[in-house]
Amino acid sequence: MGNRSVRQGSGVRADAVTFRYPQHDNGLPPTSIQIEPGEVVLVAGPSGSGKSTLARCLTGIIPYLYRGVFSGTVWLDGLLTTDAPMWRIAERAGMVFQNPAAQMLTTSAEEEIVFGLENLGLPEDDVRERLEQSLERFGLLHLRSREPRSLSGGEQQKLALAAVVARRPAVLGLDEPFSMLDSTAALELAAFVGELAGNGAAVVVCEHREEYLQRLPGLRTLRLDGPAHPQQAGASAHDVGGLQDATTGDFTLEIRGLGVELGGRVILRDITADLHGGQVVAIVGRNGVGKTTLLRALVGLQAARGQALIDGAQPSFGMVFQNADTQLFNASVREEILYRIAEPDMRLYAWLIESLGLARYEETPPLLLSEGEKKRVALATVLMRRPRHGVFLDEPALGQDATHKAILMDVTRRLARAGRLVVLTTHDLRLAAQADRLLVLGVDGFVAAGPPAQVLRDPACWGQVGLSVPEWVLGMESK
Amino acid sequence: MRISFRRGQKRRQALSVVLIEDSPLRHTDPRVKLALSLCTSLMVMLPLRSLIAAIVVYAALLAWARLMPTAARQIWRLRWMLLFLFLIDWLVVSLELAVVITLRLILITGAFALFFATTTPGELRLVLGWLRVPYRYAFSVSLAFQSINLMDEEWRAIIDAQQARGIRPSLRQWRRALDQIRDLVALMVPAIVMTTKRAWAMTEAAYARGFDSPHRRPFQRLRMAAADWAVLAAATAVSALLVIYR
Repeated sequence: MGNRSVRQGSGVRADAVTFRYPQHDNGLPPTSIQIEPGEVVLVAGPSGSGKSTLARCLTGIIPYLYRGVFSGTVWLDGLLTTDAPMWRIAERAGMVFQNPAAQMLTTSAEEEIVFGLENLGLPEDDVRERLEQSLERFGLLHLRSREPRSLSGGEQQKLALAAVVARRPAVLGLDEPFSMLDSTAALELAAFVGELAGNGAAVVVCEHREEYLQRLPGLRTLRLDGPAHPQQAGASAHDVGGLQDATTGDFTLEIRGLGVELGGRVILRDITADLHGGQVVAIVGRNGVGKTTLLRALVGLQAARGQALIDGAQPSFGMVFQNADTQLFNASVREEILYRIAEPDMRLYAWLIESLGLARYEETPPLLLSEGEKKRVALATVLMRRPRHGVFLDEPALGQDATHKAILMDVTRRLARAGRLVVLTTHDLRLAAQADRLLVLGVDGFVAAGPPAQVLRDPACWGQVGLSVPEWVLGMESK
Repeated sequence: MRISFRRGQKRRQALSVVLIEDSPLRHTDPRVKLALSLCTSLMVMLPLRSLIAAIVVYAALLAWARLMPTAARQIWRLRWMLLFLFLIDWLVVSLELAVVITLRLILITGAFALFFATTTPGELRLVLGWLRVPYRYAFSVSLAFQSINLMDEEWRAIIDAQQARGIRPSLRQWRRALDQIRDLVALMVPAIVMTTKRAWAMTEAAYARGFDSPHRRPFQRLRMAAADWAVLAAATAVSALLVIYR
């Protein structure tokens, strides 16, 4: 990338900026910060602490697009954000949002990049030049006519970034850019963030997986305080709310030659594995390798070849999806968890809301909760139906803070102790390192399976699937 | 026409679900395709014999453009409504009127198949811009079409997610009507929430990339090629012949 990839500006300065949303208490407490050109600032903090809100304030999206109470001042490359129209602010600042798929506005990768360039009013030749530069820089040349929704998560994230960076903003905001990326793509992105700053951009990154940025020279961290953490179970570590009555854990899910084809494309090929009850199993793999499809096939939501049986019979698993919004609809957490259960086991209910840190939200509409809390409600709704053999969790830690992950791992371990099989897919290798068993999925099936301590130290398997294992994961696992 | 879209993409979004890439009309100027569709829809005013001739000509055009299966699917979806109207017209008025009305509906339904199946939302935006529709509205309309596929995918995801938690909504089990209504809520609430969130995410993304800029300069432009003029001339000639010799 050449030196013209960003426009040198005067950075961004926020003075005692605050914002409060009208619909809930979360927002941004008074915050002051100055980010100079060439500087990267990591904004860290738990969910609900205002990281995304700060990024939106620094890039002028708040207060322009959001209703709420805004105070303080933000000077963006010499422009006061409260005094300028959004298009003028957008000429100076760019923002890449958390979910890359949701910010795609067109039907091809090159149209996506061109959209922002057209809005700058650039001559045709300049648009063409910047388009080609961006496609090349982000490795998207071969995907230029692909529909953005057909790209993998990592490719979508690159495209979202390319579409913003092509406009050469002086200030760049990235909201949870690593949350949907595998470790290789996350390391690439971290290097690119450093490169952007090296070319003079002021970059603000809101992120839970902050380790990926720690090696950037001169990185500054702004840590925001979050709301009070939910209290975890007061029950003993062995209490599983009566779930232990249903099964002993003495079973094996035998997966033999499982394969899935979608639209003529092979998604999964010859998946074979034995997964034992009483274990937490983590499945990792590159973006788009088919982890979600595998879980869907195992619960019977996806037509597949081969078989997955327990003692020769169909298994009974519940599944919690990546997007909890698809599963929640009731007026309160209590109603949600107890929905259409004829004779609910209230002991199990009490255990679930305590263990999952939901006790104080019993009467709250689930859709008003944070993403992490919604995922926990979704897990409770599935467990309340007592799936006989266990539960599958698709990216349960995506974009979540340490508190949520701790609660999640605590509950999954208890479920395993109660004899259930818990299978989770994740890009978060730190989370995967805490499982009982780690499976690495490649395009031709599992390439490694075993205790995380063993698998994480097998460079051959990681090289085979194109994933990197950062050293901090190995350090954590050895503890 | 000069648009930078390329061939070779098997599945890509058209205005109606999937783009038919191998259609000879795929790279025809979208304004010509729109004119073709409008000409065809005007044929509904013809009397029965000419109407049948118009349908035969249009069917031949669809077959040449490899769009017959797409048009057939659209008409098949309306089969019950068509049958109902045919029977009502036959019983109340006459068989001839029933046939004419049914054929007109079939022609109208199929008339826009070639436009919707071979045109992307981006091309629609260009056509609307050419028709002097303000960019803000042209963009919104094309985005709405683009979202049809997304809504379909989200709806399927919601059904799967509800099944995974043990709820299996089925509109065919009328005996448990109250439960069915509650289960329908289980689908509708997430659908509304997800659609609203997606709409907001797109709004943010558009404004963050200068959507409201008064200095916008379009990069892609529509230009008629010789083949486009030829298709337009042929369509006009056939339409004129059908009207003259009706």
